[in-house]
Amino acid sequence: MKSLLALSGWMDRVSERIGHTIYWLVLAAVLISCINAVVRKAFNWSSNSLLEIQWYLFSAIFLFCAGYTLLKNQHVRIDVISGRLSKRTQAWIDIFGTLFFLLPMAILIMYLSWPVFVQAYERHEVSTNAGGLIIWPARLMVPIGFLLLAAQGISELVKRVAFLQGLIPDPGEKQHEKSAEELLAEEILKARGEATP
Amino acid sequence: MTAFLIHNMAPLMFCGLIVVMLLGYPVAFALAAVGIAFGLLGIELGLLQATLFQALPERVWGVMSNDTLLAIPFFTFMGLILERSGMAEDLLETIGQLFGAVRGGLAYAVIFVGALLAATTGVVAASVISMGLISLPIMMRYGYDRRFASGVIAASGTLAQIIPPSLVLIIMADQLGKSVGDMYAGAFIPGFVLTALYAAYTLGICTFKPSWAPALPAEARTLKEPDGSSGSRSLIVLVVISAISAVAFAKLYYPPDAPLDELIVVATCVGTAVAFFAALILKVLKLRLLSNLGERVVFVLIPVLGLIFLVLGTIFLGVATPTEGGAMGATGALIMAFTRRRLSLSLLKQAMDTTAKLTAFVVFILVGARVFSLTFYGVNGHVWVEDLLTGLPGGQLGFLIVVNVLVFFLAFFLDFFELSFIVIPLLGPVAEKLGIDLIWFGVLLGVNMQTSFMHPPFGFALFYLRSVAPTREYRDKITGKMMAPITTMQIYWGAVPFVIIQVLMVGIVILFPQMVMVYKSDASTVDPSKIQINVEQQGEAPAAGTDGRPPAPPTEDQQQEKADDAAQSLQDAFKAAPVAPGAGGAPPPK
Repeated sequence: MKSLLALSGWMDRVSERIGHTIYWLVLAAVLISCINAVVRKAFNWSSNSLLEIQWYLFSAIFLFCAGYTLLKNQHVRIDVISGRLSKRTQAWIDIFGTLFFLLPMAILIMYLSWPVFVQAYERHEVSTNAGGLIIWPARLMVPIGFLLLAAQGISELVKRVAFLQGLIPDPGEKQHEKSAEELLAEEILKARGEATP
Repeated sequence: MTAFLIHNMAPLMFCGLIVVMLLGYPVAFALAAVGIAFGLLGIELGLLQATLFQALPERVWGVMSNDTLLAIPFFTFMGLILERSGMAEDLLETIGQLFGAVRGGLAYAVIFVGALLAATTGVVAASVISMGLISLPIMMRYGYDRRFASGVIAASGTLAQIIPPSLVLIIMADQLGKSVGDMYAGAFIPGFVLTALYAAYTLGICTFKPSWAPALPAEARTLKEPDGSSGSRSLIVLVVISAISAVAFAKLYYPPDAPLDELIVVATCVGTAVAFFAALILKVLKLRLLSNLGERVVFVLIPVLGLIFLVLGTIFLGVATPTEGGAMGATGALIMAFTRRRLSLSLLKQAMDTTAKLTAFVVFILVGARVFSLTFYGVNGHVWVEDLLTGLPGGQLGFLIVVNVLVFFLAFFLDFFELSFIVIPLLGPVAEKLGIDLIWFGVLLGVNMQTSFMHPPFGFALFYLRSVAPTREYRDKITGKMMAPITTMQIYWGAVPFVIIQVLMVGIVILFPQMVMVYKSDASTVDPSKIQINVEQQGEAPAAGTDGRPPAPPTEDQQQEKADDAAQSLQDAFKAAPVAPGAGGAPPPK
């Protein structure tokens, strides 16, 4: 179990690193799209590769950050019922969900999307738009994204099992970074010279 | 047993979905799992082709190359940067001073600023937190009724859901297969009417319960003239001048056949520019014709209106697509935060981090929905839902009433993500079959789902207000008096009248579809929709052309197409979801 936990800790750091690198693409996408919009109107010049790079970036953001988002426990849940259950039951739900929901889906899509990439790569597929980008890097993003998601899923699985064995504190609780809302509230209070409620 | 399974696959699948989602595992994966499990069962029973899942990579690809979805990270990022730029604080303080002198003035200010923030940041949580921290203590200090004060703040915050550029509307448009520009144009007037209804309720309170919403006493008005007058006279003169110049410009220089929304956008720009330059010249020449209050109001409002123009104006003029509008707005927000010295590396990182996570979870719900719909449409689930709903008595009206009642009650337990993601794609095709305009339908459900933010006890807006409203007795800094805390029951009861207003508004939109239909007069939005079509082709065409694998047997082609549409709308619905947990904080316990 110890070595599994070490592996899980390593995967968490990988996901964290990937998330913190990929989020810069948000800024890149904003700036490219803005420049593209202005240039298109002002100089009546546009490029299909500039348009396509936007959704390449968008795809990279959501596919590569899926595992990171799982690490931060930010995928939306309906916790009307589960919110009232004990931490141990919640851990069991997460173990069940990871084994029967997340992993089959991630592995199935990964398995099916790999040949699509190979085909695009071997045939040197290029976007049908004039001046468009090559396709295979975008095709490759799908299996990689789902691989990262599955790997993070396994890491979460290990942590839940370790929690049930009493080896680590509740992993669902551990992410105590401040949310955007908390930071906003703090900033307003600071500006007004009051303490956080 | 097998026969029972074969005949009831769709209802069984739907029930399975409900059970699995209530389990509390992330919705995105639960959806996909139900799709895959029932897909395998369907293949086993011979209901579905064994090649069913071969379509999955193309489903994901369709999500990736969807240009509309790109607006999600843009508007989210814009909202996250703007909420920390200090804009909301400035607005609330200045507008509060402007309206403070009249009875209920602070409430009007909250509603007005709520609408302005809705047209820029579009983040419910941020509006509620800013108003709860800035306006609520002042309202309490000067004796506002606590229920009324907290209700008006929570409700005004939720305006972000219905006033463009709301993410809900983007998702709704995507789900229903309509253009986002049309959805924005359709939601415009209902958004205004709803804001006016809030103001009318405030007026009613001021008339019948004047003690609930007193005017600010003279000592609370800090933006006064040296001689003690409020200085509103010179501001009124300036407003009149700018209004006259806007109308004059529209009448004299603009072609009479121009579309209405274009005219409004351009005339507003002219009027605003006149006010701005007048104020600027007076300030530079030190003429002191304009009061302190007037000057503050003009200089606080101008950047906000500029930003609204940059995003909404360009979309309505047909100059930019909603995605481009979002990108320009986000860049504008960065510039604004920078000039106000609020932009730091940590803020930038935090905004990007939250945006990336939000984009991932919203888009993954969409991916999950597309996996689900692949099977659900394969087993004719859409036909099952259609039969259920077209059998309702009362035709169009009966359908609309039943659907709205259903959504209203579901909204107590689900937030609008889950609603728009699961319910809308099922309802859209039925509505279309009944001859209901889908933009009208979308706006209607948008207004209805807005209530999910105010429903006690789970509404997000109430949750965020609770998190910033005082929970303990405290000493007021200005008056030195001890103030009682705001109880949770006060917040709940305060929201009730606004939920009723919301229901009223749903009725108004049903009775007066013209409010929404103005989008049709709008020839100029054709341009952006063309652009979108282009981009979609870029993504989809190579996929279909190069795949070399038949996506589905011919008999299923139509279903497949339909499924894609539905999945698309699901995707859209998911996009909207980010708004709810808004800036990505842990969602409140539901």
